[in-house]
Amino acid sequence: EFWDTEFSSESILKSTMNDFICGQYNRPFLESFEETPMLVAVLTYMGYGILTIFGYLRDFLRHWKIERCHIAREKEEQRDFVPLYQDFENFYTRNLYMRIRDNWNRPICSVPGAKVDLMERTSRDYNWTFEYTGRVVLDVINLGSYNYLGFAENTGPCADSAAEITMKYGVGVASTRQEIGNLDRHEELEKLVAKFLGVESAMVFGMGFATNSMNIPALTGKGCLILSDELNHASLVLGARLSGSTIRVFKHNNMQSLEKLLRDAIVHGQPRTHRPWKKILIVVEGIYSMEGSIVRLPEVIDLKKRYRAYLYLDEAHSIGALGSRGRGVVDYFGLDPCDVDVLMGTFTKSFGAAGGYIAGKWELIEYLRSHSHSAVYATSMSPPVVEQIITSMKCIMGEDGTTIGCDRVRKLAENTVYFRRRLREMGFIIYGNEDSPVVPMMLYMPAKIGAFGREMLKRNIGVVVVGFPATPIIESRARFCISAAHTKEMLDRALSVISEVGDLLQLKYSRRRIQPSLSLPCDDIVFEDIDD
Amino acid sequence: MNVGTAHSEVNPNTRVMNSRGMWLSYILGIGLLHVILLSIPFASVPVVWTLTNLIHNLCMYLLLHTVKGTPFETPDQGKARLLTHWEQMDYGVQFTASRKFLTITPIVLVHICSAITRPVLVFEEESSPKRSKFKLSQL
Repeated sequence: EFWDTEFSSESILKSTMNDFICGQYNRPFLESFEETPMLVAVLTYMGYGILTIFGYLRDFLRHWKIERCHIAREKEEQRDFVPLYQDFENFYTRNLYMRIRDNWNRPICSVPGAKVDLMERTSRDYNWTFEYTGRVVLDVINLGSYNYLGFAENTGPCADSAAEITMKYGVGVASTRQEIGNLDRHEELEKLVAKFLGVESAMVFGMGFATNSMNIPALTGKGCLILSDELNHASLVLGARLSGSTIRVFKHNNMQSLEKLLRDAIVHGQPRTHRPWKKILIVVEGIYSMEGSIVRLPEVIDLKKRYRAYLYLDEAHSIGALGSRGRGVVDYFGLDPCDVDVLMGTFTKSFGAAGGYIAGKWELIEYLRSHSHSAVYATSMSPPVVEQIITSMKCIMGEDGTTIGCDRVRKLAENTVYFRRRLREMGFIIYGNEDSPVVPMMLYMPAKIGAFGREMLKRNIGVVVVGFPATPIIESRARFCISAAHTKEMLDRALSVISEVGDLLQLKYSRRRIQPSLSLPCDDIVFEDIDD
Repeated sequence: MNVGTAHSEVNPNTRVMNSRGMWLSYILGIGLLHVILLSIPFASVPVVWTLTNLIHNLCMYLLLHTVKGTPFETPDQGKARLLTHWEQMDYGVQFTASRKFLTITPIVLVHICSAITRPVLVFEEESSPKRSKFKLSQL
């Protein structure tokens, strides 16, 4: 009986089932964000309250010199000057973050593939300073790296070709694209990216974050409207703010909210003058990395066509990771890539390299070649990185003559479905779409953030945990990133450890239990191949 | 610390009072304070209610209307540094649900408190028409 009241995403499922029947989605779109249980919410607030009280107490002790103060302070002679920074803004960092700081910035000393080596460190003054013991924690199962297709490796054809090209071109380019930094390898890479995505033309940039923040100002300006999703990445938000356009935010993945904003914008025009907007740009992401949700692309494209707006799709996490051929979220839904005006993505996640691209019509890319800040002022991509991307992309497309790429895409999909299903059966609350390789698992309480990270490391598994203020106050989570490089044994070991730690820390909050299937887990998965 | 932000919310402090379970936690917090004060051996029930009321009002004044700024750095370039939590709530929009809730709780608390501590004046007419008496009665 709980299910009808607590299942807040039931309406989402109902509407998507309707769409599924009406033919807009050619596969079921299953997303769920189970609501926080009330008891857990109350205990979380209590936790933050106790931490705040103790924070004030410790600040008092530090002020009256009873306790030693580790924070950077001004010199004794400058005591009466205007203070450099406000003490209160640092409250959270010094009283909450410092206590569990050993879960972040862990130095790794091997390639971040499916397993990684960590440097062991200890702290004698409660995480204010760290000391390295000199030992290395070997073969930690890596559930935190964005390594979706397993191309983060230091052996194999990609690494060999990158080494070869370093011998020929060197490592640095020493110039921008517009001056003398435009290599023939860049041109070849751009043609390959355009072919991969199925569009006319593409352009690559040296840094993924800078691709967004430097190119959105070139596309929109004053008098334009940007409609951006609530949970867009910091690079998109920064690019939107730098452009000087008006920004309006719609509720996450909510098409009614987006439609309402579009209608209001077209009817009322610009804020005071009521002139029509110069252009309206809808900015969405393929997979949202903190929620694990996938954008409702068919509906967004429908709205875009109906209201004559432009669409900017950031496929940072979804390129290579979704779709039967690995071509991203457009391939996942089986849509035409020409419907999306600006396709953006990064090579950091699925290709094991660095940098980003923007793809679309030929006129758009030619415009960006001369008007983008990144093309004019930033150094172009380094040759070994270019070669890594070329080799890995050819591998995914199957052009190197092997089926490695195809196998990896399929393995990632299998791993994702298996991992998500087993976690759900165990009773954890998992957010996001059933097909997304980003799996956020809810922890809620601030103390469990630190405890989960540490307990997992003790059992040789590395995870990424996130808390407030990067997430809403009660929704702290651990985020797993599934990779094609994870074998079934690794996933099974990880799952058993997660279950053990989950029992120890009481993390199995879910009220919806799925019955575990009796047969062997990986055998009864059916893939609906839409392209066949 | 703010680099991995998962939402485009400029100041997360504005949404804290709207989160799930916050109102219930607030009322349970007042209840907990009351129970702790009730355990003082020499205090009578009206005194305890008065103390609850006073301490609740003092804490509310300090936390909502005195402390300025946010305990973490925000990307809004210091706009919230001079604002108290009450002013930051919902980005300054007045009469939202949380503001109404936080306005009503001290009023309700003071009414309960005075109903328990102070006797109420009741006018009672006597049978003889010449003299009417005011009768004090305790509720």
